[in-house]
Amino acid sequence: MAEAPAKFDAIVIGAGPAGCSAAYYLASRGFKVVVIERGRTPGSKNVFGGRVYLAPLKEIYPDFEKSAPIHRWVTRERISFLHGNDLISVDYEGNDRKSFTTYLSQLTAWMALKAESAGAYIINDVTITGLLKEGSRVVGVKAGDESVKADVVIDAEGINRLVLERSGIVQPLSPSNVALGVKEVVKVNPDALANQFGLAEGEGMAWSLLGDVTGGIPGGGFIYTNKDSVSIGVVMLLDGAITGAREMVYRYVEGLKLHPKLIKYFKDSRIMEYSAHLIPENVMSLMPPQFAYDGLLIAGDAAGFLLNLGYTYRGVDFASYSGYLAGKAVEQAHGLGGMSAENLSVYTRMLEQSFIMKNLKRFSGVSKLMRNRRLFTSYPAMIASLMRHMYSLDFDSQKILTNLLSSAKENGISIYSLISDGIEVMSRL
Amino acid sequence: MSTAAQRLEDILNNNIWDVDPEPHITVDAEKCRKCDTRPCILLCPAGCYTLSDNTLVFSYEGCVECGTCRVVCPMEAVHWEFPKSGRGIYYRFS
Repeated sequence: MAEAPAKFDAIVIGAGPAGCSAAYYLASRGFKVVVIERGRTPGSKNVFGGRVYLAPLKEIYPDFEKSAPIHRWVTRERISFLHGNDLISVDYEGNDRKSFTTYLSQLTAWMALKAESAGAYIINDVTITGLLKEGSRVVGVKAGDESVKADVVIDAEGINRLVLERSGIVQPLSPSNVALGVKEVVKVNPDALANQFGLAEGEGMAWSLLGDVTGGIPGGGFIYTNKDSVSIGVVMLLDGAITGAREMVYRYVEGLKLHPKLIKYFKDSRIMEYSAHLIPENVMSLMPPQFAYDGLLIAGDAAGFLLNLGYTYRGVDFASYSGYLAGKAVEQAHGLGGMSAENLSVYTRMLEQSFIMKNLKRFSGVSKLMRNRRLFTSYPAMIASLMRHMYSLDFDSQKILTNLLSSAKENGISIYSLISDGIEVMSRL
Repeated sequence: MSTAAQRLEDILNNNIWDVDPEPHITVDAEKCRKCDTRPCILLCPAGCYTLSDNTLVFSYEGCVECGTCRVVCPMEAVHWEFPKSGRGIYYRFS
């Protein structure tokens, strides 16, 4: 690596997907950019569920498919409802190369390498403790007693945004604005994995599990197939978990893995890693008041850029793309004469026009939907008893409508809530 | 794999840390004592908060740096920093 310059055009806080993508764009356009990472290597502090959507990443990194660490293409989507020992699933095969599984630690390391080969400096092992300010203008960053200056700072510090809190830009996180994700990555025999999940070479499965997964706490479970391992975990809204947790959170992951209908997938497996991370929820209230300030842009989880669709999350592609837009905004502000809030506000406009803000607004009701307890308790129970009525036959059979209504009644669901919840689901998703 | 849930200690043993000799989390014992709900005990994924004789015992070494304790503590008794200079959890497969 060449000698680092005394002053940088841009400093990026955090070598995660957002930070690396910002640095990659800026370095490719000839800007002197440094990424400061608290971990020992880029990716060593990153956690995700298990799947990344391709399209945004392909725009940022044109050669993405050729060299990125893609484990398996998700060709098989499954949504399941768990109730007691019953498991009801919808299986969809058809998506070709829209999303893939990987380890985020690996993907982020790859992004950092791309940024570095484009000319960015990556400094590991340094925790940024605050912003360096002159008046209201951000002019650099502080790491303990040391400071580094730059024309602009891109804050991509992640969901635990200590730097932004200390600068008075955001309030501490509230339990209603985040969910907790807890996950195990377990090693399995690749042949057994392919057989159990019904996958051909290079094919993968993304599996969402609803119902009896988190003991009634709003949330759910997930399973992703990696190359020769499986990621399994649970997500729970933190405010719901505070009042609803009845056992330690790791037990919910273990419980899912040991579910009578799931245990066969984890035969002879062994845990490779156990991780946990906070996930943005209710993102419209989690977002900072502005995305662009004098000398400062905010990207990735720190800005709340993560989409919860109820049945799947989009975090890594949203974060990466926001970093990429932050890079573009810096380039444009440079052309306009400097890093004032006004010049940098082009970032906000680009976000508004992109899929990021459009989707976050469109699906802003999903967090509310997840708080509808019936969806996580009564409905899985109802569907399970409906299926039991339909398939667990001895002699007599009933019409499906009769079965549906009696299953609803068995689980305390009125016709009115059937209709109103149906409308709510259709309008929020 | 056994058919019983594994112990948290055994699960955590698969991880790698470079433990900072200085704790990156401190708990205000005075504030903590007055808490009657202590959501940290069940919600810390690494089990860093345990109860011993009705007193909360805290250890930071196995922390996975999610930040949950800081958000759920109703007494604002948790002072939370990132571990310094590359220390703490080192994720490889997450």
